[in-house]
Amino acid sequence: MKNILSILAIAVVFASCQEVIDIELNDKDAAIVIEANISDQSGPYTVLISKSVNFSDPNVFPGVSGAFVVISDDAGNADTLVETSAGVYIASTIQGVPGRTYTIRVVADGKTYTAQSTMPNAITLDSLVVEESGGFGGAYIIPQWQDPIGTGNTYRCIEYVNSERVGAFLYDDSFSDGLVNGQPLLNFTTELETGDTVLVQFQCIDAANYLYFFSMEQTATNNTAAPANPESNFDNGALGYFNAHTVSVRTVVIP
Amino acid sequence: MSLSRISIAVLFLALNVCFLGAQTKYTVSGTVTDKKTGETVIGAVLRIPEVKGAGTVSNEYGFYSLTIAEGDYTLSVTMSGYSTETRTLALHANMKMDFALQDTSYLINEVVITGEKADQNVSDPQMGAQKIDMKEANKIPVLFGEKDILKTIQLLPGIKSGGDGGSGFYVRGGSADQNLILLDEAPVYNASHLLGFFSTFNSDAIKDVTVYKGNGPAQYGGRLASVLDVKMNDGNNQQYHVGGGLGLISSKLNVEGPIVKDKGSFLVTGRRTYADVFLKLSPDSAINSNTLFFYDLNAKLNYQLNAKNRIYASGYFGRDKIGIANAFGIEWGNATGTVRWNHIWNDRLFTNTSFIFSNYDYKISITSPSADFAITSKIRDYNLKHEFQFFPNPQHSIRFGVNSIHHTVTPGQITASAGTAINPIKLQDRFGWENAAFFADEWTAADRLKISYGVRFGAFAVLGKGDYFTFDADGEVTDTSSFATNEIAKTFFTVEPRLSAAFLLDSSSSVKVAYARNSQHLHLLSNSTASSPTDLWIMNSLMIQPEIADQISAGYFKNFRDNTIELSVEVYYKIMQNQIDYKNGANTQGNELVEGDLVFGEGRAYGLEFFIKKKYGKFTGWVSYTLSRSERRIDGINDGSWYPVRQDRTHDISIVAMYDLGKKWSLAATWVYNTGNAVTFPSGKYYIDGQVQFLYTERNGYRMPAYHRMDIGATWQTRKTEKFESSWNFSIYNVYARENAYAIIFRESETDPNKTEAVRIALFKIIPSVTYNFRF
Repeated sequence: MKNILSILAIAVVFASCQEVIDIELNDKDAAIVIEANISDQSGPYTVLISKSVNFSDPNVFPGVSGAFVVISDDAGNADTLVETSAGVYIASTIQGVPGRTYTIRVVADGKTYTAQSTMPNAITLDSLVVEESGGFGGAYIIPQWQDPIGTGNTYRCIEYVNSERVGAFLYDDSFSDGLVNGQPLLNFTTELETGDTVLVQFQCIDAANYLYFFSMEQTATNNTAAPANPESNFDNGALGYFNAHTVSVRTVVIP
Repeated sequence: MSLSRISIAVLFLALNVCFLGAQTKYTVSGTVTDKKTGETVIGAVLRIPEVKGAGTVSNEYGFYSLTIAEGDYTLSVTMSGYSTETRTLALHANMKMDFALQDTSYLINEVVITGEKADQNVSDPQMGAQKIDMKEANKIPVLFGEKDILKTIQLLPGIKSGGDGGSGFYVRGGSADQNLILLDEAPVYNASHLLGFFSTFNSDAIKDVTVYKGNGPAQYGGRLASVLDVKMNDGNNQQYHVGGGLGLISSKLNVEGPIVKDKGSFLVTGRRTYADVFLKLSPDSAINSNTLFFYDLNAKLNYQLNAKNRIYASGYFGRDKIGIANAFGIEWGNATGTVRWNHIWNDRLFTNTSFIFSNYDYKISITSPSADFAITSKIRDYNLKHEFQFFPNPQHSIRFGVNSIHHTVTPGQITASAGTAINPIKLQDRFGWENAAFFADEWTAADRLKISYGVRFGAFAVLGKGDYFTFDADGEVTDTSSFATNEIAKTFFTVEPRLSAAFLLDSSSSVKVAYARNSQHLHLLSNSTASSPTDLWIMNSLMIQPEIADQISAGYFKNFRDNTIELSVEVYYKIMQNQIDYKNGANTQGNELVEGDLVFGEGRAYGLEFFIKKKYGKFTGWVSYTLSRSERRIDGINDGSWYPVRQDRTHDISIVAMYDLGKKWSLAATWVYNTGNAVTFPSGKYYIDGQVQFLYTERNGYRMPAYHRMDIGATWQTRKTEKFESSWNFSIYNVYARENAYAIIFRESETDPNKTEAVRIALFKIIPSVTYNFRF
């Protein structure tokens, strides 16, 4: 809320001028990046392993080949993933079940990285309500779901317009415990128009992943005094996350 | 309380020393005022030239008291901006002598200042203190022509601007919340309007501004870095006057006059911006339904009940409102009130009792068909201060007293209309009781040695009602303790010695040394680059210890050319304990357990400050230069090693020049330069979650580009008579249109999506402005 406030206020008050500039940034040894998801939908689940590059380099991120990747759960299942292309690893037997805790172990370049994530109970996205905004420009979407009694539920909505991903939004229930959600997808970059198809992928995520995406958002808004890397649930200095989540999807066409 | 008993014991010790060798002595006392307005004059220097070292200074209520051996003398009163007044003094009994000084700017002849010029900066033992001359401040060109004392003090050494055009400031490496900002003794918790571009101080209502850079005398306490003591005008007790100003951003109006001539007066000033009026002119409903404004209201009354009693009541109320299309709104504001009672017990003992109220709150409201709710937060103080000033002899000027403040912090409360998707929630109110007893003496120990010393004892009690938590290193709650209403959860005691000494090398130069300890019990949690009205104030608790700073400083002071030019060089070193920062990913809004997201560490700051000022003549101005460093070390940040704080700027230069072109025109120009802020930039990038993310390696490891800017201004006095005055003020902010970086952001390139780029955001290019001021 604070970020939105500052951005809005500054934008409203002063039309600022922008210019692309050259800045000398230090080069950094490449860091390992692991993006791992497991959901309550049927697989195959994918784990992406890559390396960071220097700021001035093109956006080409080398995949890490030859890693050993295994995902296990607290019910005694384990699955060693198979590399299908450089840095892309696919699971085959493991199944995502709400309530179970999953562990991932990655061995790459002689170092081991582990993370754990507990898949929350599944909640269904009941509907997408389209509301005319009073001045934000265009319509916006209110995803509705029933939050269960008891705080600590955390959610993530990924918004697609005409099959293109336009944003991801985090929710928690600290102000709305036990209620049907009424907070819109506050998307300031995409104006919805009549005829657009909006798809929302609704995820129930655990607290560690909420912290990851929350800290990522704080830094990404370019507004924080101390930008930092998101708080990863991986150990040993790996960047990225391991997210065991549930999925519920709804689609609406803007009238 | 045992602390106050100690201070009384110290006091009597000091007094006994003073009374040794007493002979037949008498006291002359009285009040110094401005002849034309009846306003009391603060800081006028009273001297008896026949007796070496016999002198004093009028206090913050214009009162002075001087006790010397019986005899026939002369008594002279000197104050910058006023003509010196000298009278014969036949002191054969205790007597009263009031002075009404003539403001030199109203003299018909060309302004020629004769007589003695103040050498206070050399002889005063106080270090790291600076006074703002309001007449000077009004000439200095500023953004949108909105003259502003907080922007004037940023031009002084050791005080740095919070950002382009901003009114926030940093003193000697301290953070913004380490400045105690007082308006008629009431703390102002958020001194900014419109996200920091304007300060809450309407300079038409201000009489006196003094800033102490970490070496404040013992009557001040509660913040580590500085005290900014702002005193409002009392109001003219001779005639009614209406004054005002029409500017591009705001207009101001003030009315003042006697309640009973010579006895009492009132002053009311108001200011309001009108950016929203222009918004209303837009035919676009998405624009004309927005609101954007702030206003200020200052009011003051004073009345002299009799020769020994005088009461003052003053208040401030200011508010900002930003609203977007009735869908989203935020408003915030301060309200302060001070009631004071001056009582003169006898010629040598003056007391002031103040009851002070201060409130700061903000409200965010969001209105949509499915969610209609508001978040409010506030901090409220009730404050009682009782202070004695005792003038036993010309060698000593003693203050002692007590101060008790009750704080209530409401961190967050959500109100929602029925049927919306938000639960009404109220985080627990937090209560604190801050007590202090202080003793301070300005002592002329020898002809060449002046010492200002004192001590402040503090006790801060963390009060119920409420649950207080303890956390482990991971920020998880390990214990919850419940306390009943007004039950003390924990008490912190502090002892703060203060010492400052000046040794006169000759009549125009001195060396000074100082040491001070300060402690701070209220802390502002701020994570954004712009000052945000929603930054959270928290108090000491079971987890949060008081911040403590120890500062030592030394300086050389020299006046040239009959005190018309002042030079000073000061160095300081400051150590800070219990500095507070957030963990990465901390959530500060509506979070009952926010203390679990905090990390603690230490700080150090050191620097050199150079200042040269020409005070008199057609051409006046100053050059200030600061070389400094400010660092923190906090576990879990930057691998636990020292890092520069954001406001660490190695070099900081301000040049101010003013020139009087005769009676009609005066010109002014300022130039500022500083090293860029220490900032965190990415050192790489990676791909995750469908997008490019930046990789950060160290806190504040990079620098913003250097900042520099020149402003010019001119004042055209169209008329100046006793009956009517009017003037035009023209100014240009950022004359050579430098695009100073307000922020540098990093993003995917707009021209080549396969690249990333750095983008500089600059706020203000050339901003011309004009203001019309009048007074009748």
